[in-house]
Amino acid sequence: MSETVIEVSEISKLYRLGTIGTGSVRQDINYWWTTKVRKKDNPFFEMASSTDAETSRNFLWALKDVSFDVKQGEVLGIIGSNGSGKSTLLKIISRIVSPTGGYVKGKGKVSSLLEVGTGFHKELSGRENIYVSGYLLGMNRDEIKQKFDEIVAFSGIEKFIDTPVKRYSSGMYVRLAFAVAAHLEPDILIVDEVLAVGDADFQKKCLGKMRQVSQAEGRTILFVSHSMQAIHNLCDKALWLKQGRVVDIGNVGSIVNKYMMGVQQFRMKQEWNFEDAPGNENIRFKKVELVPLLAEPDSPMDIRAALTVKFEFWNLQNNVHLTTGLHLFTNSGECVFDLPSQPAEFSKGILKGECTIPGNFLNDGSYFISLIIVKDTSVQLFYLEECLAFDLEDYRGDIKWYGKWVGAVRPKFPFVIKQVPELV
Amino acid sequence: MRKSMIPIVKKWDWENSAKTSYWGFRFKELVSFRHLLFSLVRREFLLSYQQTLLGPFWIVFQPLLTLVTYILVFTKMIGVSVGTIPPVLFYFSGILLWNFFSDSFGGIYNTFRDNIQLFSKVYFPRIIMPVSFLATHFIRMLMQLVFLFLMMAFYIIFRGIHIPFHLVMLAFPIAILCTGIISLSLGLIVSVLTAKYRDIGNLVTLIIRMLMFVTPVIYPLASIPSGVRWIVLLNPLTSIFELFRYSLFGEGSIEALPLIYSLAFTIIVLPLSLMFFNKNGNKLIDVV
Repeated sequence: MSETVIEVSEISKLYRLGTIGTGSVRQDINYWWTTKVRKKDNPFFEMASSTDAETSRNFLWALKDVSFDVKQGEVLGIIGSNGSGKSTLLKIISRIVSPTGGYVKGKGKVSSLLEVGTGFHKELSGRENIYVSGYLLGMNRDEIKQKFDEIVAFSGIEKFIDTPVKRYSSGMYVRLAFAVAAHLEPDILIVDEVLAVGDADFQKKCLGKMRQVSQAEGRTILFVSHSMQAIHNLCDKALWLKQGRVVDIGNVGSIVNKYMMGVQQFRMKQEWNFEDAPGNENIRFKKVELVPLLAEPDSPMDIRAALTVKFEFWNLQNNVHLTTGLHLFTNSGECVFDLPSQPAEFSKGILKGECTIPGNFLNDGSYFISLIIVKDTSVQLFYLEECLAFDLEDYRGDIKWYGKWVGAVRPKFPFVIKQVPELV
Repeated sequence: MRKSMIPIVKKWDWENSAKTSYWGFRFKELVSFRHLLFSLVRREFLLSYQQTLLGPFWIVFQPLLTLVTYILVFTKMIGVSVGTIPPVLFYFSGILLWNFFSDSFGGIYNTFRDNIQLFSKVYFPRIIMPVSFLATHFIRMLMQLVFLFLMMAFYIIFRGIHIPFHLVMLAFPIAILCTGIISLSLGLIVSVLTAKYRDIGNLVTLIIRMLMFVTPVIYPLASIPSGVRWIVLLNPLTSIFELFRYSLFGEGSIEALPLIYSLAFTIIVLPLSLMFFNKNGNKLIDVV
């Protein structure tokens, strides 16, 4: 068993919201008086945990009692929605901010990549920036001197190395900044979503380098990303944070899957009573549900999954000719398709519908579904807007390319290229 | 691999907890970041003279221009008496030491305001930043000091000014050291305060300007009426400036008590300010 290199124990972080300024001196004196003079607990702790709505609204537990260990050589992915405390956790482990409670202990040199181009100054040349940024990220002089040429070659800006970086294109700037980061050799590497910036090519380089570092050199990496594909590919373990608390930690596949399901549950299924059901005097919706058929039970809901849309509604008219339409939209509101059912005649009662979108058809991204019910193929009876929403994760199998795959759909039509035999 | 084969229980290298200590500096860590300090000083110099025509010559030009102004206003127009020292040497020595104090202080007290972007993205011992400012201005001051010595040599050789040699002459490094320490210490304290309460930043600029008038920069302490001299002597910089001039030109009013007061102030304020900075440094990132 390899040794523990980071120990996170009951980390909590409290933020005071609202305006800091007026009243802040008073609060500081209050704090000093209670804790130092009267030797009591932090008064703001009590205020934050109190049920009094007025005071608790002004405080936010960005993290609450977070504990976990990281072992030598482990690659830990940290996932969670916006505001779940991921970045705060990285900042505490990086020692940028101190926690309100608990502690982090670690062994070895830590480098944090929380932004691209840490310590870069636009007035200075590329050469100077390599040095300052390298030192800031924890390299020593010998390391930088030894790798200087390699860094310059990696960034591909040899010609401009003595030009102030303010004259660089943004692409050159990012390449140089990443070249420095890529040549770091810390014991522990902490990476925030630097992958979000830069183009596809840059992301590819970044992920490739990280994989190389973790696999070949056995370094410990902590990695935050919104891309489940990247987390899934790079990490062995994942930590799921929700509102500052650890939901689960463990094998990356199962955590990512649980996370995806957890995030979408409320939009994957909706059910109503007759009284408050959406609808009108003709139609009332009872239930809509999206059931994914996963490629493997453990895999996240990715583009391989077939999706079955199931719905039930009350038909309040007798002997009526009905058609149901399923509209699928991309996140940006573009309609991918409008799929009508076979028209048929129905009597009063509950009607059930089902439609399956095959796997390996949609692209990765966010989609939502609306349902329409039409009488006599021309009169709209009811339109249930955006009743289901889901995200499809990326899956590329062996394709080692991480750029954004364009298009609303990504079908797998038969596509063959052949070598034409040369005629002699 | 090597680590897993031999199960050595290694002690933790670093820790981050709610308790911030007053003595958070770890000497080993500071040593490992020395190259960062050097490169920050280098950066500061490069930045000051980016896209200037005269470049590093400004280090000497800037105090020279101030000197010309002071000579015109105080010697030619108002006629302030500066004793037997040539006004050029008198004012230049004052400007040199005062600029060292106020420039480094001005940089240090904005440590958090100017570097918050950096501080919130990467960890390094925060003290490196203010120390790099102090080092930058120290080097500039040394260059100006060389220029001052050249001017002194000119006056001694061509103008027949007689500066008697005495042991106190060796005290000028002490005066410079004390000025640097006071500048760093006050800067550290104010940097924490301005980060928390922005208003203080506006006040400080004003206070520094007023402080110059109660420091013997443009006048000798001897010219202050003895009735109000205590006000000027309350300023710990006063005796240090007098010591500086006395050590260089053999003229100035040094008394034991004010000098001990200044030295004691320096020795006490340094550890206090370091503790204060240390204790509050990491918490400030959330507030700035």
